[in-house]
Amino acid sequence: MIPDRLDIAWIALIGFALATILLSSLAARPLLGNALLLTLAALKGRRVVLDFLDLRAAPALWRGLVSAWVVIVVLFAWLASAVVALI
Amino acid sequence: MSATDCEQQETGWGILGDLPGDPMIWVLIFSELAAFGLFLGAFVVARALHPAVFAAGQATLDTHLAGINTVVLVTSGWAAARGTAAARARRRPAARGWMFVAMALGALFIAIKLFEYSGEIALGNGLETSPFFTLYFLLTGFHLLHVGLGIVILAVVSRSAGAAGVETGTAFWHMVDLLWIVMFPIIYLVHQ
Repeated sequence: MIPDRLDIAWIALIGFALATILLSSLAARPLLGNALLLTLAALKGRRVVLDFLDLRAAPALWRGLVSAWVVIVVLFAWLASAVVALI
Repeated sequence: MSATDCEQQETGWGILGDLPGDPMIWVLIFSELAAFGLFLGAFVVARALHPAVFAAGQATLDTHLAGINTVVLVTSGWAAARGTAAARARRRPAARGWMFVAMALGALFIAIKLFEYSGEIALGNGLETSPFFTLYFLLTGFHLLHVGLGIVILAVVSRSAGAAGVETGTAFWHMVDLLWIVMFPIIYLVHQ
């Protein structure tokens, strides 16, 4: 059976989730480690938005709005941790 | 007037009518995303103000159980998406089967989360232990209630397994999935 778009999205999500767990066990520096963890979260979110929520074919407004929510939340979390790390 | 404009006028939902499922579920989804976004923002600000308290609280959490729950929930989302595809193809028995898998994995998520809570409570942590645990229990508890509500919605739409109903129910389920994907690293993994 050839995997379709949904199967590929699921495999990617599992891969990103395992990479997140692996990365969290490494003692990475907060700035870089947090950036990588939150980037993986944004990539997972993007997959869910486009393939599971099925907004790939929806108007750009809705796709952009939900994608922007993901980016704003993870970016805010990273910026806050970066400010504390740099002070 | 274009064909798209005519369709939007017929549904009465304007551009919300272009989204999969009932437009009303999207009103709920956007409201939930706004509420959880603000809640997570409050968590992030509180951590920046009390980094030592949040680091101590975070160190007691079981990141492995939360990581397993991420795998469980995204797999449930995949099963729900397969159910939607089957419902659109009018393969109702297959749609019901996939929805059952999605619900069973949702129930597994709840069981794992309750097991995780029991470990945290056994360590003496509760709602009033620290600002970290207040926000932790409220955020994850509120999300857990949504998982429970999502299972009920999936069960309701699985009965007829029609395309419109399944699209509506799974849209809510994928939002619950999306919320966890963002919450997991912010609460469990981001270090100060």
